[in-house]
Amino acid sequence: MVVQTNLSHRIIVLFFLLPLLSALADSASDSDLINELVSLRSSSPDSGVIHLYDDDVSKFLTSVPTPRPYSLIIFFDSVDLHSNSQLRLQKLRREFGLVSSTFISNNNGSNNGTKLFFCEIESTHSEASFHLFDVETLPHISFVSPTTENLTESDQMDGGDFAGLAESMTEFVERLTKLTVGPIQRPPLLTKTQIGIIVALIIISAPVLVKKILKGETLLHDRRIWLTGAVLVYFFSVSGTMFNIIREMPLYVKDYEDESKFVFFMEGSEMQLGVEGYTVGFLYTVVGLLLAFVTHMLVRVKNLNEQRMTMLLSLVISFWAVRQVVYLDNWKTEYEIYPYWPSSWRR
Amino acid sequence: MGGKSEPAKSESMATTTTSPDLINSSFFSFKSLKLKTKQQELLLRIAILGLVYILAFIARLFSVLRYESMIHEFDPYFNYRTTLFLTEKGFYEFWNWFDSESWYPLGRIIGGTLYPGLMVTAALIYWALRFLRFFVHIREVCVLTAPFFASNTTLVAYFFGKEIWDTGAGLVAAVLIAICPGYISRSVAGSYDNEAVAIFALLLTFYLFVKAVNTGSLAWALGSAFGYFYMVSAWGGYVFIINLVPLYVLVLLITGRYSMRLYIAYNCMYILGMLLAMQIRFVGFQHVQSGEHMGAMGVFLLMQVFYFLDWVKYQLNDTKLFQTFLRITVTSAILVGGIALGVGTASGYISPWTGRFYSLLDPTYAKDHIPIIASVSEHQPTAWSSFMFDYHILLFLFPAGLYFCFKRLSDATIFIVMYGLTSLYFAGVMVRLILVATPAVCLISAIAVSATVKNLTSLLRTKQKVSQTGSTKGAGSSKASSKVTLDQSQPFQKNGAIALLVGVFYLLSRYAIHCTWVTSEAYSSPSIVLAARGAHGNRILFDDYREAYYWLRQNTPTDAKIMSWWDYGYQITAMGNRTVIVDNNTWNNTHIATVGRAMSSNEDEAYEIMRSLDVNYVLVVFGGVTGYSSDDINKFLWMVRIGGGVFPVIKEPDYLVNGEFRVDKGASPKMLNCLMYKLCYYRFGELTTEYGKPPGYDRARGGEIGNKDIKLEHLEEAYTTSNWIVRIYRVKPPTNRL
Repeated sequence: MVVQTNLSHRIIVLFFLLPLLSALADSASDSDLINELVSLRSSSPDSGVIHLYDDDVSKFLTSVPTPRPYSLIIFFDSVDLHSNSQLRLQKLRREFGLVSSTFISNNNGSNNGTKLFFCEIESTHSEASFHLFDVETLPHISFVSPTTENLTESDQMDGGDFAGLAESMTEFVERLTKLTVGPIQRPPLLTKTQIGIIVALIIISAPVLVKKILKGETLLHDRRIWLTGAVLVYFFSVSGTMFNIIREMPLYVKDYEDESKFVFFMEGSEMQLGVEGYTVGFLYTVVGLLLAFVTHMLVRVKNLNEQRMTMLLSLVISFWAVRQVVYLDNWKTEYEIYPYWPSSWRR
Repeated sequence: MGGKSEPAKSESMATTTTSPDLINSSFFSFKSLKLKTKQQELLLRIAILGLVYILAFIARLFSVLRYESMIHEFDPYFNYRTTLFLTEKGFYEFWNWFDSESWYPLGRIIGGTLYPGLMVTAALIYWALRFLRFFVHIREVCVLTAPFFASNTTLVAYFFGKEIWDTGAGLVAAVLIAICPGYISRSVAGSYDNEAVAIFALLLTFYLFVKAVNTGSLAWALGSAFGYFYMVSAWGGYVFIINLVPLYVLVLLITGRYSMRLYIAYNCMYILGMLLAMQIRFVGFQHVQSGEHMGAMGVFLLMQVFYFLDWVKYQLNDTKLFQTFLRITVTSAILVGGIALGVGTASGYISPWTGRFYSLLDPTYAKDHIPIIASVSEHQPTAWSSFMFDYHILLFLFPAGLYFCFKRLSDATIFIVMYGLTSLYFAGVMVRLILVATPAVCLISAIAVSATVKNLTSLLRTKQKVSQTGSTKGAGSSKASSKVTLDQSQPFQKNGAIALLVGVFYLLSRYAIHCTWVTSEAYSSPSIVLAARGAHGNRILFDDYREAYYWLRQNTPTDAKIMSWWDYGYQITAMGNRTVIVDNNTWNNTHIATVGRAMSSNEDEAYEIMRSLDVNYVLVVFGGVTGYSSDDINKFLWMVRIGGGVFPVIKEPDYLVNGEFRVDKGASPKMLNCLMYKLCYYRFGELTTEYGKPPGYDRARGGEIGNKDIKLEHLEEAYTTSNWIVRIYRVKPPTNRL
């Protein structure tokens, strides 16, 4: 009997002790984990986003009992899909980095700084994690709260939160964590030293410039500069540079079927790729300038044979360029242009 | 020569007027007429111009031949409706017209919110014709206004070309612009839009201004001020003039080309033009209040500073003293100007730039911030193929023309170069602005063609007359060409010249072929009647739009309110004569967003919105049966975007699946249940559209729809046109309260 009661006592004691011990062990390992995350964050090369691998996911998420002392916000990235301009992965990743660096700088030193960590997982190294989070489409940003047990149920940032970029991502983070990220600090286009140098240069050169302008011997008075500028404006306009900028078109894309092949020209008059616009713009410019060259420069060449050869060459080049452009245009727009001869001429 | 000139002149008069005995005479030739070379040339020139005038008109009649004499597209219907009102009720009624039939329940003050130039022009032509006892319908006048003004534009182009280069360039420019697709696209018969008269006004203003700068005459400057007034009254694109002209003046000032002529031309044009422009109610005091017009005012003040400095320099003989004075004046002038601008903007007196203007300078602005501008197809950026389509060989000639202009730099060529480059840049940003660039491209290319051909032909001629190698009679007027003929004393044989000439003419003939084809096949469609090729190559016409609008007119109560996407607003009021919620004026973004929200909500929510707007009928355009691709389903994402811009409950990603817009089984649930989807695809699941495809196969999207069993609760189908392109639904009154 005695033995019995003794045993039951022990069991009871054990029952009381175990949670206490485990709690102690937990808090020790908690602070370890946080310290490790902080050191990972400070050693990460850009904006404090921690690059997680499959091991890290299990270490920081799956093997840690809930509630965890921190939340993670994870950006799922894939290098293979960077070339797909519609997904805007790289841009979103940059914005994500901005939110992260803003959060860190605003919460540095305070307690809140260790409650949220920004992470990224890349598909080629960590496919298992993608399965764990049930990520099928990108862009995908998940928020893992301290209480989330099943990672597939983590809160996902939806498209509306991407739309406004860093600002709306911030809203998403603040809504879920109740932490403040603060206003986004975008890096200025020019750093302070650069601005200083530019201002200094302007101040130094100002007297010289003013003197030159008054005398009328600046570049502004050189018509060759103006001509070059004019031709450049023309070139960039007709090659659809504005289209490329506004639509953020890439210069070329990879072939869907064969990865090693590149597609430079796209069918359909509503679309264009960067390279094709520049190619055609170049052809236009070449023909036009050749015409000017032949009528204004070539006549000054003294050697008769040279003149003839150059002339022939420029004629051939122009002919070829015009044919190319017309051919490309017909192919692209799928129009077949034909003259309307009188119907009696037709057989 | 002097003695002979009298009889020759009278004979040349006889040829231009009627003279039967001359035609009957057996020895009819130029020699017998004894026309001097100059007169022959004049005669030729007039004949060519006359032909070009007619050509420009008839090339634009393809649309009437292929369809019928009708008003095209969307905006022209509003212009037509207002013109009708103007001719029926008179000018004052028109000026004070409050239109309660559009933008229900807000209404629209028509007189104060439109550019009346086009309507007044058409009404004047109409009244003039009636005065001459030609009883035509106002619709015919409206249909033919655009070709008529295009013809006039060719004349202006001729004079402009003559002013900046020579008569040859003028003639070539007239021919090029007469058939240039970039211009034809906006000026075919029936395209009764502001641009139809505005391009004429634009070119006229520029021409008169350049003329004023070249001559320094007040009369030309006055003319250009009135040209500007006409432009302001006709089109919002006048902002281009009021910014390009000061920019041009500024460049002249910087490059040291300031002159008294420039001073007179600009001051007169700016002051008078500004005062005249203020008479247009829609423009009002913008010339002194809006940021877009401040550049012109700044340059105006700068001109005064220049004039003042010139005067002081004349008074002071000491150069050193003048230098100091110059420095102080320039600095203080810039300071004062900057402070005034800052204070004006900060106090709200000067309004900041509008979105449309801003999106021209920073092209990515509209895409991110103003979906209503970005949604319009003509506001899309231009791909290279559109340039090729609209300019064809002019693009090859343009750099050559630029080079020629720089070779012979003058105030006039500087202007045309600047006009060409700025407008080409703008054309790259928005497709519709190709229109503005067209005259400049034609003129610069004409310079290239004319100068080249002139050089080559004078070369051929000098070869023929070996004895007169030095004479440059034909090209005497042009410095450049005379230089060329002098330079090439020996080589550059005839063969080369002939080869080049053949090349140039080959290019020009290709241009003519291209323009004719493009005009006839691509730009003559009224887009209110749709054409397609049948299985046997025959033409099929879909006249569903008019069918639907006439149905509305005949079968609905006169005070019925129709809700549709804004594209069809003008057409419904003009042809259906019914009140609409929103139309193409797009002045109230919130109102349009409300409609967008209704279209993208589910039926219950949409019903609430429609009740609040008193909507009786809903009209949707659907291309699933015919394969018509610019229907409401394809425009739907823009409705979502515009609606979401005001009401954040509407989110674009909810309607997409993996960033893709789908209507089939994989479509998002929100998409399958929104009002637009239901109205478009109601009863569509029962219909077989294509042989070998399941019922409910959408031919415009190329897929089987995802929801074939659509039940409507608060709406009922009222009418569907014969090809299902337009579908009209009646909004049921609320059921009895229990």
